Formats: sequence, C-alpha cells, structure tokens
Amino acid sequence: MNNPIISVNNLSVEYVTGIKSVQAVHNVSFEINSGEIFGLVGESGSGKSTVVQAMMRILPPPALISKGNVFINNEDIMAASEADIINFRWKKISIVMQSALNALNPVLSVREQIHDVLKIHKGLIGIEADNRAKELLSLVDIEYNRLDSFPHQLSGGMKQRIVIAIALAIMPPIIIMDEPTTALDVIVEREIISKVIELRKKLDFTILFITHDLNLLLEFADRLAIMKDGEVVELDEVKNIQKGGKHPYTKKLIGSIPSASGVRQKGLLTKPDKLTFPKDPILEVKDLEKVFQSSNIFNKQKLVAVNGVSFKIFKGEIIGLVGESGSGKSTIAKLVTRLMRPSAGSIYLNGKNKKVTESRNVPLEYRKTVQMVFQDPFGSLNSIHTVYHHLARPLFRHKLKDQTEMFPYIVHLLEKVGLTPGDKFAKKFPHEMSGGERQRVAIARALSLDPQIIVADEPTSMLDVSIRMDVLEIFAKMRKENNLTVLFITHDLASARYLADRIIVLKNGAIVEENASEKLIQSPKKEYTKQLVTAASPGWLSSLGENFEKKEEYNDQ
Amino acid sequence: MNNKNNLQQNSIFTRWVSGIIENQKAFSGSCIILFFALVAIFVPFFINSPTDFLGTPLSPPSFEYIFGTNGQGQDVFAQTICGARQTLFVGFSAGILVVIIGALIGGIAGFYGGRIDDILSLLINVFLVMPGLPLMVILASWLPPTPGTLLGVLVLTGWAWNARIIRSQMMTFRNRDFVSAAIISGESNIRIIVVEIMPRMLSLLASAFIGASIYAIGAQVGLEFLGLGDISTVTWGTNLYWASNDLALLTESWWTFVPTGLSIAIVSFALTLINFGIDEVSNPRLISERIWRNKVPKELINHGITPVTSQNE
Repeated sequence: MNNPIISVNNLSVEYVTGIKSVQAVHNVSFEINSGEIFGLVGESGSGKSTVVQAMMRILPPPALISKGNVFINNEDIMAASEADIINFRWKKISIVMQSALNALNPVLSVREQIHDVLKIHKGLIGIEADNRAKELLSLVDIEYNRLDSFPHQLSGGMKQRIVIAIALAIMPPIIIMDEPTTALDVIVEREIISKVIELRKKLDFTILFITHDLNLLLEFADRLAIMKDGEVVELDEVKNIQKGGKHPYTKKLIGSIPSASGVRQKGLLTKPDKLTFPKDPILEVKDLEKVFQSSNIFNKQKLVAVNGVSFKIFKGEIIGLVGESGSGKSTIAKLVTRLMRPSAGSIYLNGKNKKVTESRNVPLEYRKTVQMVFQDPFGSLNSIHTVYHHLARPLFRHKLKDQTEMFPYIVHLLEKVGLTPGDKFAKKFPHEMSGGERQRVAIARALSLDPQIIVADEPTSMLDVSIRMDVLEIFAKMRKENNLTVLFITHDLASARYLADRIIVLKNGAIVEENASEKLIQSPKKEYTKQLVTAASPGWLSSLGENFEKKEEYNDQ
Repeated sequence: MNNKNNLQQNSIFTRWVSGIIENQKAFSGSCIILFFALVAIFVPFFINSPTDFLGTPLSPPSFEYIFGTNGQGQDVFAQTICGARQTLFVGFSAGILVVIIGALIGGIAGFYGGRIDDILSLLINVFLVMPGLPLMVILASWLPPTPGTLLGVLVLTGWAWNARIIRSQMMTFRNRDFVSAAIISGESNIRIIVVEIMPRMLSLLASAFIGASIYAIGAQVGLEFLGLGDISTVTWGTNLYWASNDLALLTESWWTFVPTGLSIAIVSFALTLINFGIDEVSNPRLISERIWRNKVPKELINHGITPVTSQNE
C-alpha cells in the first residue's frame, strides 16, 4: 500500500507548432496507490487527457514529452523502448476511451474485437477465446448471444460496457477511463458507473478516472486532482474537496453545481419578485408531430421523433423541456423556430387565430418574434465573420436600425450579455474568443431583434462547468428585465430546476410529466421522472446499497 | 464608416493572402505562375513575330535565335512565349468557369435538397458518366476550331466533377448551426449561400480552380496536338503539333518541342505547388507535423510512441 502503483513526477508535455511550442501540461505530479480510484478533473483544454496519453505514450505528433518521468508498477515508462511499451499496454494498463462509438470498429462483430485482444496479448484462440469472451460479457451484464452483434446494433450504454469488458480482457491491474460516460444519458451513465464500482469490488483493480464532471467524481473517487491550464491546482481526498477545497478554482467549481435534490439554494439565479402570467398563452403548440421518413425506396422506414406534443407558454415564463437524447427535444426546438415543418399539428403564436404552420415561407414577423440559441457555440457562429457582422445582419435585414445607430446599439447589446468592452468584442472573430464568450455572442444575436420568445437548445451543455451558471443568469436577468419568454431545452434536470418555472419531461417524443419546477423535483409522479431525479441527486451511488459505499480505509487515510 | 473599415481587417481574405505569402510552397508556385503570366502578356510586344519566316528551318539554338528555329523557319523562342498567351488564357478561363458553374449547380443542389437536388444531381451524373475524352475529341473536331470552342468543350466536359464535390460540401454546411441561425434571423437563401457558406468553402473552391486549370491546360494541349484546335494560331499545343508534323524526333531537332513541353511541365508543377500550399494554409496540422519532424531529434521519432526529449534533470 505504501508503494504507489503509478507515480508521475513533474511531467511536462509540449505541442511543437510554429516557432513557439505550446505547453499543454506543465509539471504535473501525482501518485496513485494500488486499489484506489483516482480522479482527474478539468475543463476542456486543461490537459487532463494529455497527461494520461503521455503516460501511455500514445500522444500523436506534434506532441513531445519535454520533462518528467512516469513509473507504473516500478517500470520507467519514459526510458522504455517501443517493444517494451507495446508489451506493457493492455497487460499492465488498459484504457477506456471517451466515445465508445469510435472505440469499437463498426465492421467487426463484438466477438472478433474481443478475440483480437485475447489473441495478441494472451495467444488465446478458438473455443478458449470464446469462453473468455463469454465470461467478460457476463461481467458487464451483457448476454453472450450479443457476441455476434455489430456495434451499430447495440445501444450507447451497451457499447460502453463492451469497451469496458475489452479493457478488462487481460485483467490489467490498472484501468484508465477517459470520460467514459460523457456521451451517455444520465440514467445510463449511472448504470455504467455502478457497474464499474461493482467490478472493482470483485476484481480489485486501480482506476484512474478522467472527467470534466466534478459532481460525478465526488460520488465514488477516493482522491482527486483538479487541473487547470495544464497544471494541477489541487490534489486532495474527496471528503476535503467536498467541503469546498482550498484553491479558489475548486471553490468555484464546487459552488457552480446546481443540484436536483434537497432544498433549493437561494440566489443562484435571478428571479422576478412575483410570478404572474397573463391568461392567454404567447405560444401554443397543439398535437405536434414530426415523422422522419428514410428515402430508401426498398426499405421505407419511419421514425417518429415527436408524437402528439401539446403545451402552452405564457409571456414572461421560462419553461424547461427536459429529456434525454432521442426524446425529441431538439426536434421540438426546430419545429417551434420553424426550421422544419411539422408532419401534423399546429403552432399558434399570440392568440388562437394565428396558426403559423400553414405556409411554407416563414414571414419576417415570425422570425423577429421567435429567436433561437444553439447548443454549440463553435458551430453557431460563422468563423469568417466578425461579431459585428453576426449582430448587424439581423438588424439590417429587419430594417430595425440605420447605419448611425447600429454600432452603439451593438456595443450596448454586447455589454448587456457581459462582454465588456463591447467595442473591442464587436471587432473580434469567433476563433479569438473562448467558448463562453462565443455563447454570449450567440445570445446577443438572438436578443438583437428584441424577440418575445427565445428557444435555447442546450445553451450550456458544451460549456465548461464553471461558467454555465453565468450563462444561465443572462436568461434569468433578461426575463426579469424585459419580460422575455424562454423555452429552455436541456438534458440536465438540475439546471432546469434553477432556471425554469415549469418543467416538461419528455421521453420518446411524448410528454411524460409536466409540473411547476419545485413540485416536479420534490414529488415526481411518474416512474421515469423519479429515475431522472434520483440520477441527478448527489449520493445516488451510496443509496444503491452498502456494496457501493466507499472503502473506509481510504476515507480515513 | 471608419468603424466598418476597421472591422474588415483580418478578414478571411487578408488571412488567406498572408497565409499564402508566408507559405513557401504556395509562394514559389504563385511566383512562377505570375512570371509566366507577365511574360505572356508583355514580352510578345518586344520580340519577333512567331509566325514570320525568319531563318534557316530547323537551325539549332544560337545567339540570334536562342531556342533555334522550327521546320517553317519560325523563331521557337517567340513561339513559346506567344503560345503561352492563349494556352494560359484558355486554361485559367476554363478553370474559373468550371468552378463557377460547379459552385452554382452543386451549391444549389446541396442547399435546397429535395426535388431540386434530384434534378440537378441527375444532370451532374449524366455528365459524369459521359466519356469525357471521346466527347471532347468529337466536339472539338465537329465545331469550328476557335479558342472559344476549345473553352466551351473544356468547360462542358469538366464541370460535373466539381459540382459533385461542392454539392456534398454544401450538404454538410446546410445543416450546420450557423446556417440555421442565419435562417432564423431572416436571411434570404441566396445571401446565405453566397455570403455565409461560399467563403467557408474557399479552400475547396481554390483547389478546385487549380485542379480544373491543370486539367484544362493539359486537355487543351492534347486536343491541339491532335490537330483539333485552330492550327493557324500559336499555342503550346499547336507548337507541339507542328513539331511532330515536321518530324522533330526523326530530324533530332529537340529544340522545337523541349521549350514548350518544359513550359507546360513547369506551369503544372507550379499549380500543384500552390495546391499543396492551400492544403497547408487551410489545414495547419500539416505544417505543424512538418515542424515537429524538423525539431525533434530523428533518433527519438519512433512510429509507435511519443518521444521524450530529456530525462529528469
């Protein structure tokens, strides 16, 4: 126990580009004890994946390990030859990559992919390999008749479990997990994590778990290292970090996590003093239906994305549309903003008599009333135009401002969404800004036409955790000041709880439950909603039973 | 409007121009092309007429005629330079037209999709499956042999492939969020295609132009060599045609075809250099990998594992 199984000392990694090299990782040191779950947390660009890939020496060019050493099982990785390293990978340490979709080869069956690993590293073939493959699948609770399935026939959760099974194939003492659950839905994520914890109990391996989601690691890790800009800013036991940590960055991370359980924290987001809504809805959606039809003439397939959804939104209200991937929530956003025509049903704007879905051409008036903020701040701005262009075009198009008023108005808008000084930001190109700043520009663009309704499709899911609440605050503030109506679409129940007044839970294109936010969180009626609420609450893992509680010895170390 | 001018700084075009100038490959390629273009435009005013009978036929290079004379006693130097004029003009015009037509048809098909795409794709596919070379030969011999005919034939047989590529690129852009955002802000479709999407395709359009120009120059020279162009004009293709007609190989008068052939090769080489350069400018990873290879000591570069420069001090 005293001898660490992994020790990383002063590791530095450079990316050799142009005249100056970019320091991606700077003097990172940590030790992992045998049998421990060690978490590495950081936002995008913090260098957490680079550290791990440098440890395995699988970083592609133009990376260069400029300093430091790494000992795994007392073997000096930096001095090892290529043959040593290849021999070492998978037998001593295996890695579960971020996206199971990419980690599995789409043209090979599960059986062939497991056999590959067994043959190369253990020389097992034929029936022996088959038996081992069956054992591995039963470890991760997948029936062995799935052996002949191809990756596309499996769900995301199943694929991820198979990748874990392959990582376990040779029973390495250390497993590295690089964001293994990021692409998965919350409920599936919880299943995978509890499976991993259960397996570790049974097989006793060491886990190095990398994620951007501090909340998740607090559930099951023993010790944590928090990374920022290529350096470890804090390294401590989980119980100390849970209390708030020492470094201001840790404090910020801990403080910015909304929770779906317990009493609602006050003051996290601005709320108007009293909530009263007019009697008539500003937007009404009735029996909305969208069916996608594949155009293959031999095999006509129908996919019902949205199935009879009806809801009303009142002026000044924030509605949370919560659902997992495939629930049809983004399709609803596209239907409401009329990027797509519904297959059936209707959308009424401002009173009953204006049915908006009849004509193919969308009137400018509708565009002006309903605006949208997209999920991906990197994709929703055009990289060849300045911020000024993005904000000025809608105003030109709708003839709202003339040349002389334009620039001051845009500066004002930018400062309103927290981009000061506005005149500097107006001249910037998207690639000169961070993700959070871009998303603010996207929000400013949506606000530039002074719309009545904003559809926000997962506006924070691609942003770093520490700035998510700041971005949500813009919506909360705009609602309070301008009586803006927001349709907030998210997969994250906790953030919907804090921003929205009312939550609609979607599953498979239909509404499961609809209620005022606090009521829905505190007393969910439907089974699915209950699952969602439990999965988003802290302590979900230990609530599964004593098997999942942390080993005391580490807690008291 | 001072503000607005400031905003244009650092726009995509200036970034591209500076990228090309800084890139060695693109820069040297551009210099060669520029040299050829300037020579073709201005030098003919100062030298012998390429069609005059000047000296003893098939006399080798000398001080008087530095590239010698051909079978008709014409100055090969003058022919090479004057030939560049029409060859380069037709080649680059065909390149531009091919890209414009391809961008128009492919862009519209990819952006609108549905029935419009079905019809335009059918058109593109018909032109793709038509055998280009025989069609080119038949059209060129059937139509009156003028530079315009050649241009038309080259564009007609060359546009479809580019249209196909641009169509697929447009289809991927069509569903990007920035296009949806432009639609929601009320922009017209034409403006979205021209102002929002086309500049994003600049590297594709530029390399399509380069590719089409190389093809057009090659095909044009080939047609003229076969005698399908206007043999009374002076182009690189007709130079080669006459060289072969006058049995240059049998008489061992190499100077009648080497200058022209070399010019064609150098121009194609320069265009290819520009194409590589555009690749690197639009995909910086290619450059950084080269820098990495130069900087990291050779013995450390190992195919399978990340190099380590120094052990702990």
